[in-house]
Amino acid sequence: METVINIFIIALGLYFGLGLLFGLYFLFAGATTIDPLMKESKKVVRLLLLPGTIATWPFLIGKLFQSKKV
Amino acid sequence: MGLDYKLVLWNKHKKNYDKLIALGMVLYLIVFFVLSLVTNAEMTAETIIIRAFGSLAIILLHLILVIGPLTRLNPNYLPILYNRRHLGVSMFLAALIHGVFSTINFHTLGSKNPIESIFTSNMDYGSLTNFPFQVLGFLALLILFVMASTSHDFFLKNLSPKIWKRLHMLVYLAYSLIVLHVFLGAFQQETSPFAIGVLCLGFVLITGLHLTAAFKEGKIDSFKASKDSDGWLEVCTTGEIEESRAKIFTVEGERIAVFKNEGKLSAIHNVCKHQGGPLGEGKIVDGCITCPWHGYQYLPHNGQSPPPFTEKVKTYQLKVVNGFVYVNPNAYEEGTEVTPISC
Ligand code: HEM
Ligand code: FES
Repeated sequence: METVINIFIIALGLYFGLGLLFGLYFLFAGATTIDPLMKESKKVVRLLLLPGTIATWPFLIGKLFQSKKV
Repeated sequence: MGLDYKLVLWNKHKKNYDKLIALGMVLYLIVFFVLSLVTNAEMTAETIIIRAFGSLAIILLHLILVIGPLTRLNPNYLPILYNRRHLGVSMFLAALIHGVFSTINFHTLGSKNPIESIFTSNMDYGSLTNFPFQVLGFLALLILFVMASTSHDFFLKNLSPKIWKRLHMLVYLAYSLIVLHVFLGAFQQETSPFAIGVLCLGFVLITGLHLTAAFKEGKIDSFKASKDSDGWLEVCTTGEIEESRAKIFTVEGERIAVFKNEGKLSAIHNVCKHQGGPLGEGKIVDGCITCPWHGYQYLPHNGQSPPPFTEKVKTYQLKVVNGFVYVNPNAYEEGTEVTPISC
């Protein structure tokens, strides 16, 4: 049980850590390429969107790659 | 529906709504503190904070969960749905304060990392009466975090409405985890029988309302229209639709809204592009079909949002024969112009 818990907590930490790195890149650079509305959006708005980007980055990263291909 | 993203989309109605939420929350907390101090003077401030915010969060969660079915049963409740997101974020914040205070109170004194301590301080995972109930609270809080943090139109668009909706359906999982968190916690804490009673009642209310609403919608879906020789479906008589309103029909598995605007009929797909709101339960305002959930608008004759907006829904062809309305079940492409027909 201890190992399961340890793995879960490390995975959770990794998920949030990677999410933070991706989120900063995505909101201040990447998202502007897939969502034109982002270009005009202010910094505070981007910060507000950071937690959600951290939470859902695996979905957003896929979208970023898709848009690069086209 | 904007041209750039705003921090929060506020208007007068939403501001009043938010003031009401904030006022209600503050009042509840004050009453909770005073009653706790009066009835049990030995309770520590931390314990009161933990209980006050925990119970506040679960009350807000109940409110959030009953709004959906209530509006489907009675459109008069729609104004509460309009700003449900802010209610959701407030609920998350209350739950977060509860979780953070509990964690500080019970899990920061040892040498272990506090999150690890939530999971390992009680390893009785096989027991019912001594189950580590805080783990359930933690998992629920994670789900609430995902939902609250994506409560912005940016995520609706960039995650795609389908994924967004699925993520937000997790609220039911979070609710179950929280119910277990409180029930199992009650074996270990002196939770009052009153609170347990209220929780049971809440559970009955939420499931009851969901079932009733599902039954009502099932009736719309089981509607069987008769076909004419061209394969068009007879749905109702012209008089059954009120001016500036619609009736919803399920035609070959798709819900279609037939609107009457200035005496003429138009049909569009019933599902709003924003979050799937039932367009046919909305009204025509200033010539536009207005979604009852958050107010997205579409023109009846082509299913397009008025410029500069770009949303489009499918349109359908109609005909009227001897006062009966017929729908061609083959939809047009989204945003296709169809001339409204006179009754
Ligand atoms: C990290 C997450 C969480 C932790 C560590 C945690 C911890 C606790 C603890 C220690 C108690 C017992 C408090 C007492 O009676 O003295 C409790 C009770 C409770 N929790 Fe949580 N919790 C968490 C998340 C949540 C969430 C997300 C909700 C709901 C939205 C919630 C709702 C409640 C409620 C309603 C009670 C009963 C309050 C009462 O006894 O009056 N908790 N929690
Ligand atoms: S669902 Fe939000 S406006 Fe229609």
